Amino acid sequence: MPAPIPQIVALGGGGFSMERDNSLLDDFVLSLTGAARPRMCFLPTASGDADHYVVRFYRRFSATCKTSHVSLFRRDQGAEGVEDDLASHLLAQDVIYVGGGNVVSMLGAWRAHGLDTVLRQAWYEGIVLCGPSAGSLCWFDEALSAFHGAPRRVRGLGLLPYSNCVHYDAEPARRAEYHRLVGDGMRPGFAVEDGVALHFRGTLLERVVSSRPGRRAYRVEPAVDGVVETPLEVACLGTDAVHPECAAA
Amino acid sequence: MSPRPTVALEHRLIFAMGGGGFTMEPANPLLDDFVLSLASAREPRILFLPTASGDTTGQINAFQARFAGRACVPEYLSLFRLRDIERTLAEVVLDQDIVYVGGGSMRNLLAIWHAHGLDRLLVQAWQVGTVLAGLSAGAMCWFEGGVTRSSGPPATMDGLGLLKGSLTVHADGEPERLPVWLASVRNGALPGGWAVDDGVGLLFRGERLQRVVSSRPGTGAQRVDAIAGELVRCRLEPELLGATGRGRAPSLDEDVQEMRRVQRLRRSIIGKG
Repeated sequence: MPAPIPQIVALGGGGFSMERDNSLLDDFVLSLTGAARPRMCFLPTASGDADHYVVRFYRRFSATCKTSHVSLFRRDQGAEGVEDDLASHLLAQDVIYVGGGNVVSMLGAWRAHGLDTVLRQAWYEGIVLCGPSAGSLCWFDEALSAFHGAPRRVRGLGLLPYSNCVHYDAEPARRAEYHRLVGDGMRPGFAVEDGVALHFRGTLLERVVSSRPGRRAYRVEPAVDGVVETPLEVACLGTDAVHPECAAA
Repeated sequence: MSPRPTVALEHRLIFAMGGGGFTMEPANPLLDDFVLSLASAREPRILFLPTASGDTTGQINAFQARFAGRACVPEYLSLFRLRDIERTLAEVVLDQDIVYVGGGSMRNLLAIWHAHGLDRLLVQAWQVGTVLAGLSAGAMCWFEGGVTRSSGPPATMDGLGLLKGSLTVHADGEPERLPVWLASVRNGALPGGWAVDDGVGLLFRGERLQRVVSSRPGTGAQRVDAIAGELVRCRLEPELLGATGRGRAPSLDEDVQEMRRVQRLRRSIIGKG
């Protein structure tokens, strides 16, 4: 049996929670598993385990995947999500899908329940890890988080030895702040717009895909004079007439 | 915002409820009115922290329903939803008369506070005389330890340690918690402390228990210590709130409420300018 390949799909924004009528990024994630009916567990921690988010996850995936979710806020109530052995449940998945929200709160709660260690193990074992927004930032060594006051540097789980900035197009202040931080010694990394996903095999960037045409992602690195922002080649998914908007581009 | 001076220990108040208040007693405002009466300001600024629940809409709505019509300036802080990037957490937390912490997962509460540095800010708030109040996880967090069901079965957990001793909550409402606490006190895993029923609150002035109050008859609290390996239990009889009118905030008539709404609106406009 070949050694499993660690894989992460980091969405700048998008997927079932942000793109109602476009499932291309989610379909791309599922295609990486090679399973006909992948086992997929949702971690909505960054939203505070918001009920509406959990419902949308099941609505989107329960027809095609063996779905479950882990709630870290309702562990006393039993029955609903997975209650007993979080580690063995998570390590039996094909995909772990991490929802968006607040990355600092999420990482704090994960560490308190030992999920940081479990997710690292899941990655080594070849379980595809993915998510938008906070569900992207968390896998990197450093991330830019905007919450109460100026955007700031946050330490992630460090599986990927880069920094990450999401929603790059949606909030103009982020771009300036990310450049400043990378210029000031934050790890070089990736800036990603909504609708774009970075696919890493191991710690190397394999491919950049998008659900819509015209979406971009960049490599951002320090230069002699500030930073240099290099556009990455983005493959729009679904060009085979599955998605007419892409095909037209 | 100018920094407020540190106050002497006897002016630092913590009100720890075993259960009750707006999330658990929507029809009974006695404990919440008592909380408001603890601030020296006539119209206290009260900040709700729903962190332990994951900032559920239910808790936030219940808070607003309870305090919007009362003589106070209510506000809540979400650590999950992006609401306010104008002010830093320090500016929000250190500019209050009361901080009220909701129930839920004690493990998540303390971990998330720590991740944001809010634990330190709350200690600072207490030191400058902000009243700290809360129920369940939001009560145990102030002590050296408590018993949480954050991971399913009841288990001991360390708190922030502003108050000496341990606390266990819902002593009547969740019977499986109490035996775990008693065993932990007996074997020394937790220091001695208090077991508190739903509807009962302990008021600490500095580190000393000053009053035990209740929103309903037939409830109580107990002090438990382990002495030479044996538990010594002592029942504390609460004062029933509302019976004497003590601890009740005055109700406001419509005109006054209207005026306050206008003032608040004006303040928020000036604040953004």
